[in-house]
Amino acid sequence: MIQFQQVSKSYPGGFDAIKNLSFEIPTGELVFLAGHSGAGKSTLLKLIAGIEKPSSGAVLLNGQNLARMSRGSLPFVRRHLGLIFQDHKILYDRSVFDNVRLPLDIIGFDYQEGRRRVLAALDKVGLAGKEKLNPVSLSGGEQQRLCIARAVVHRPSILLADEPTANLDRDYAHDILELFKSFHQVGVTLVISAHDESLMADYGRRILRLKHGQFTA
Amino acid sequence: MKAWFRSHTLAFTRSVGGLFRQPIGSLLNLLVIGITAAFPLALWLLVSSLAGISKNISVEPQLSVFMVPSADQAQVAALQQKLENDNRLKVVQFIAKDEALKKLQSSFGSADLLAGISENPLPDAFVLQAKDPNPQLLATLKQELATQAGVEEIQLDSEWAHRLARISELGQNLFEVVLVMLGAALVLITGNAIRMQILTRKDEIEVAKLIGATDAFIRRPFIHSAIVQGITGGLFAVGMVWGAIAHTNPAIEALAKSYGQQFALQTPDALTILIVCATIATLCLVGALIAVSRHLRQYR
Ligand SMILES: Nc1ncnc2c1ncn2[C@@H]1O[C@H](COP(=O)(O)OP(=O)(O)OP(=O)(O)O)[C@@H](O)[C@H]1O
Ligand SMILES: [Mg+2]
Repeated sequence: MIQFQQVSKSYPGGFDAIKNLSFEIPTGELVFLAGHSGAGKSTLLKLIAGIEKPSSGAVLLNGQNLARMSRGSLPFVRRHLGLIFQDHKILYDRSVFDNVRLPLDIIGFDYQEGRRRVLAALDKVGLAGKEKLNPVSLSGGEQQRLCIARAVVHRPSILLADEPTANLDRDYAHDILELFKSFHQVGVTLVISAHDESLMADYGRRILRLKHGQFTA
Repeated sequence: MKAWFRSHTLAFTRSVGGLFRQPIGSLLNLLVIGITAAFPLALWLLVSSLAGISKNISVEPQLSVFMVPSADQAQVAALQQKLENDNRLKVVQFIAKDEALKKLQSSFGSADLLAGISENPLPDAFVLQAKDPNPQLLATLKQELATQAGVEEIQLDSEWAHRLARISELGQNLFEVVLVMLGAALVLITGNAIRMQILTRKDEIEVAKLIGATDAFIRRPFIHSAIVQGITGGLFAVGMVWGAIAHTNPAIEALAKSYGQQFALQTPDALTILIVCATIATLCLVGALIAVSRHLRQYR
């Protein structure tokens, strides 16, 4: 369960990216986040993950206020999240396998069990057999799939995807959204942002529409 | 336990792998650590070698008590009795005037030297060594003895001891100053080296923090790297000092021999090597911890 209680976020310099938002996303729901460039989509997702702190109001994750959480316990909350970043944050100094492995290393997973999980995640996103490659040699769509594999390898209960279909053609984008649907079917809560609302329409899900940091109807 | 072990082996391969990935930079860094650490180590070995000499040539301060030439047997015997019962003294040696004359004659190799003198000019004497060579005690003893009947003069020959003690104290102080200064330098050097390593792995640290890494997870490989660098740098330092000692010892031994002494600089023993490596590793660790915490402060 994700709850926003009158949340505002101004960045240093006084720009209000999010203005007094209140909403709830129940556990297990799939929600789309739409809006123009600069509407505040990324900011909203960062607030859910505790990467940014609200300037006022409270963000609750399963009833816990992230802003009140100690530096020591925040990492353990993050481990229940799967994050797909708009700028990917792929590490190009290591193989596809080692990129996907990172969340498991952080958790301290057993080596053999971790290896099985990584290969299973790569298989799930359609990158089976590419684990030894360097991510540079992947296509744009494949890099996006790599990000998804890294976000789900530790089986998070909430998946936050920031524009996972950006720069992909329509069919490819649909493949990716089908992939997310399959995570939704096993009970994962998903928030997926995108520019292109027409893609979302096909899925008949709740859409949060942002405009200059506020919801529109 | 298994997970703990795994997280450490993982961090270790990550960090040591990193050192080998930039061999030239790592080697230069180890040399800097080694040279920085070599100075205090060399100074320490010099000071402790000097302390070794002062033991060898036994410069324990002595009190020489000379009796008046007219002192009679009874006075001498009384004083001897008193000195031997004094438990502040370690050695009480009586040198009768005849004996002193004989010694003098034999050291000049002929009896002729004193042939013209009819009477033995030398007094009876005592040579004393205190149990505790502290100058205050010696001064007190000197004062007390001066009031004894039949005593003419007392010589306190502790100058040598004083001088040597002052030299080794100076060496000790110098060592402490150098240790503190170069210790601080080592912290800064490794702090900076680790900061560079952090910068080359900035992206990895950022992603790891974002997806739930604890500060300890981020810190771990840098801690390993600092300890490995500290120990290796320490061994470099020991190697350099060892080489320097091997190079200069023949000349030092020859010089000492010309003074009729046996002296050489000590090479570091196993305990010293252990202490050197542990100290440097600790200093490098401090530098690394400072660098990593400074970097981590920007993340939440
Ligand atoms: N770190 C930051 N510092 C200052 N301003 C920021 C920062 N991050 C975002 N902003 C501003 O906040 C506003 C919302 O940004 P945000 O990234 O949330 O938009 P977005 O909806 O994700 O846009 P896009 O579709 O282009 O990714 C923008 O005007 C942006 O300039
Ligand atoms: Mg964005």
